[in-house]
Amino acid sequence: MNRRRILAGILSVGLLSLLALFLPSLHKSPEPASPSAPALAQTPSETANAPTPSDTPIIPAPVVAAKAAPLPPAPQSADGLSDVDPHKAFGSKSAPVTMEVFSDFQCPACKTLFLTTNRQLMDNYVTTGKVYLIHRDFPLAMHAHSRVAARYARAAAQLGKVEPVEQALFQNQEKWEQSGDVDGTVAAVLSAGEMTKVRALVKGGTLDAAIDKDFALGQTYRVNQTPTTVFHCKGQTYPYSGVMTYDILKTFLEQLLSQK
Amino acid sequence: MMQSSPFNLRRAIIWIGRLVLAGIFIYAGYAKLTMGMHPRPPLGVALSFFALQVDSYQMLPVWAVKFVANTLPFAEIALGLLLLFGFGLRIWATLITLLIVGFFAAVLRAYLLHMQINCGCFTTPEPVSLKKIFEDGALAALAILMTVFAFIEARKPHPWSAPEKA
Repeated sequence: MNRRRILAGILSVGLLSLLALFLPSLHKSPEPASPSAPALAQTPSETANAPTPSDTPIIPAPVVAAKAAPLPPAPQSADGLSDVDPHKAFGSKSAPVTMEVFSDFQCPACKTLFLTTNRQLMDNYVTTGKVYLIHRDFPLAMHAHSRVAARYARAAAQLGKVEPVEQALFQNQEKWEQSGDVDGTVAAVLSAGEMTKVRALVKGGTLDAAIDKDFALGQTYRVNQTPTTVFHCKGQTYPYSGVMTYDILKTFLEQLLSQK
Repeated sequence: MMQSSPFNLRRAIIWIGRLVLAGIFIYAGYAKLTMGMHPRPPLGVALSFFALQVDSYQMLPVWAVKFVANTLPFAEIALGLLLLFGFGLRIWATLITLLIVGFFAAVLRAYLLHMQINCGCFTTPEPVSLKKIFEDGALAALAILMTVFAFIEARKPHPWSAPEKA
């Protein structure tokens, strides 16, 4: 081994060590969200009505703007979470892990997550008090009927019927996304009396405010695609985008729950 | 035997490749283990969270997802260091090239299938996009060039080695 080669190797290690010294500055803990941050973004209702040039998945403009915003401070418990609709939250508020699932009723990956993982998650972690699960609406602008579906699901939630309605919307996603018949899909799983109340709530126009709040919250978490799940445990926040296989999710939850 | 110049283009690319790829690999491994958080989460949490990201590509069975998630961050750091030190350069350069080409193929597949997932490369969530594909493509090209040139240069005496005695 030539001396100069050794010297060059040492110099390279030195350079990378210097780089490593600067790494902590890239990982500074996020500061609390500034009140002006949401002003960067368009309002969600404007986003929902904005026309899209194609069906190609895109990052909606408000989400891109929100990417620059700092993450909100991680809550120590579910009580620290804002605007939780009790009709769309499941399990015990005192559970050690909280999961906020931002989803869009018209997104195929959300359907996969709901139909493959959600049931087992509910049975093994939510009903046993280990996980507090919150469903958040994040209707993407590229999906023409997802906001309408979110309104119906919220209305049904107020009647305590969120589970059958969400199930029906996801299971029949291909049908109603082509026909736009969200009303008919929901009507198939509710009684006539319930459907009358749901329609009244949808027409009342009060549900959009709650959907917009979920959307705005998603932006503070830098949600840029659906489904995105934000895990909270022991004051830490772990945002994750994509479908989760139950076995892999279980491993992660067990690791979170085993933290001292 | 042909004498290689110490500062020819091939050597420059090998050096750039070693520094850039080693830096990226070491940082990527470190980022996966710390998740960019202060305080650092327990190792089990970081590795199982990375398993979720590997799983989001929907390419591997559960056992393979767990294997990749538990080994890749450490392998990235080790390969980065070995590439940097330069001992057995051709072996580590080949391995790193295979890994990068594998990552590139996975990201390209996810993009073509319109999968709404994050790359999972570093700590910051980066959606799989055309920009990400170009970045990975550029790194794969650099890795391939570095490896090919490392093999070519290895056939020539090192320019800094002592001159052969007559």
